[in-house]
Amino acid sequence: MTAQDGATRHNFWQKLQAIDRRWIYLVVWLVVMIPLLFPFKIKPQPTSPVQKLFAYIDTMPADKALVISVDFTPDTRAELQPMVVAMLRHGFATKRRVGVLAMQLYGLGLGEEALRQVTAEFNAHAATHEDSVINGEDYVFWGWTTPELTVMLGMGSRITNVFPVDYYGNTTDTLPIMRHLKNYDDVGILISVAASGIPRLWINYAQVQFGVHLGCGVTAVSAADYYPYVNSGQFTGMLAGMKGAAEYEQLVADRMAATNGEWGLRNRGIEAMSSQTAAHLAIMAFIVLGNIAFFASKRRKS
Amino acid sequence: MNISTDPWVWVAAILTLALFSFLYRENPFYRIAEHLYVGIANGYAITITWHRVLMPALITPVGHAPSVWTKVWLIAIAIIGALFFTRFIPKISWLIRIPIAVLLGYSCGAGIPRAIDAELIRQLQATIITRSHFAHWDTALWAIIIFLGVIATVSYFFFSAERKGVLKPMSYVGVIFIMVGFGASFGYTVMARVSLFIGRLQFLLGDWLGLIK
Repeated sequence: MTAQDGATRHNFWQKLQAIDRRWIYLVVWLVVMIPLLFPFKIKPQPTSPVQKLFAYIDTMPADKALVISVDFTPDTRAELQPMVVAMLRHGFATKRRVGVLAMQLYGLGLGEEALRQVTAEFNAHAATHEDSVINGEDYVFWGWTTPELTVMLGMGSRITNVFPVDYYGNTTDTLPIMRHLKNYDDVGILISVAASGIPRLWINYAQVQFGVHLGCGVTAVSAADYYPYVNSGQFTGMLAGMKGAAEYEQLVADRMAATNGEWGLRNRGIEAMSSQTAAHLAIMAFIVLGNIAFFASKRRKS
Repeated sequence: MNISTDPWVWVAAILTLALFSFLYRENPFYRIAEHLYVGIANGYAITITWHRVLMPALITPVGHAPSVWTKVWLIAIAIIGALFFTRFIPKISWLIRIPIAVLLGYSCGAGIPRAIDAELIRQLQATIITRSHFAHWDTALWAIIIFLGVIATVSYFFFSAERKGVLKPMSYVGVIFIMVGFGASFGYTVMARVSLFIGRLQFLLGDWLGLIK
């Protein structure tokens, strides 16, 4: 190797380290966009915490309700909204009573959007009144109120006291579903879908005091913080990030294909997995290249 | 290609692109979108709080409560809450300590005993190795790793003794567990950020442009 070759190579690694970050943005943009337009098939393999949550909802007593707490805001919609949609589909497909509330003010619209989408899907395929999903009979959207502590403790004695009116302005006492959904005793499992520490509050206030079964769906950023609670059994199961959502969507899709038939529903989590895989490979390549550049430049300097 | 005809989808798409334009450089479109977001979010929060909290929990009960004492009680609580605004009047700003004291007292009283149970006792219980863990080799292995990880990590944060003897290798092992934890958190963070970007592209390419089949 001549001195000139060495200098050229050194120059290359130096340039790589000083690359304009906008080129990296462009590469990530393309790496994410292309698999969305031309996806390669990936079937998510459910992990143990996802399977446990799915199995619990699937097999819990028929008279117990599924309660979903929308505890996130629109900035984490991409990761968490597919979880809410998949859980609602699961709840309605297994004919559970479903209660939805929000512990984040900005989660109100997201909860309503998910309910509107999933009830429309089920009602479009309903042949009889029995098959349809009706507000106030099969599900209730309590809405949002504050503070969390009062809501979580208050729901243990009487839910209608905490939410005298639902999101749509109906008096909750008059709703037929509320005759079977008085307090935590009627709740099979409560799932907090959150991008913050709210699932931990559900443990502290609803589980410690009233023994409610809990599950959670969390952003990937906070997943590592919640694994200890899954390990200890305080959470029956957990969905972590968009990958967790995709795994749950797959389980629900398989179940619905077996019982309800093929509806051709859009699963945003599964749809995203090819992009996610490609992006992860690209980022791994960036990390490896960056480290090689760093060590190559360092060796040259010394 | 099946472009959306919903004007709200167009508004959301244009605002998304305006925010993404920051990736190139700061510009007026980004600023407009940012300020719109802050303004709308605050307006939404104030409206919802008024209709979902203040009206049903304070204003309506004060107007309709049959007992005078209930009304007095509600008004007294409202006055204590309103003392938060004394922060804006320097002469009486010390009054803010009253609602803060009430809030702290209530939260600590309700929270601390339950937090000890949920976050200390139950977590300690989960590190105890029992006979049932040895029913399968993998559960036994994980139980041992968790046990060792907890002991080693706690020993790393044992600052009141010099790191020598048994404490030295244990704290080294603790550092390894901590680094693995950081690595897992970093990996999950990358996944989360990519997911958020995918979500926006799903909206732009799917809901807006109709390119995703």
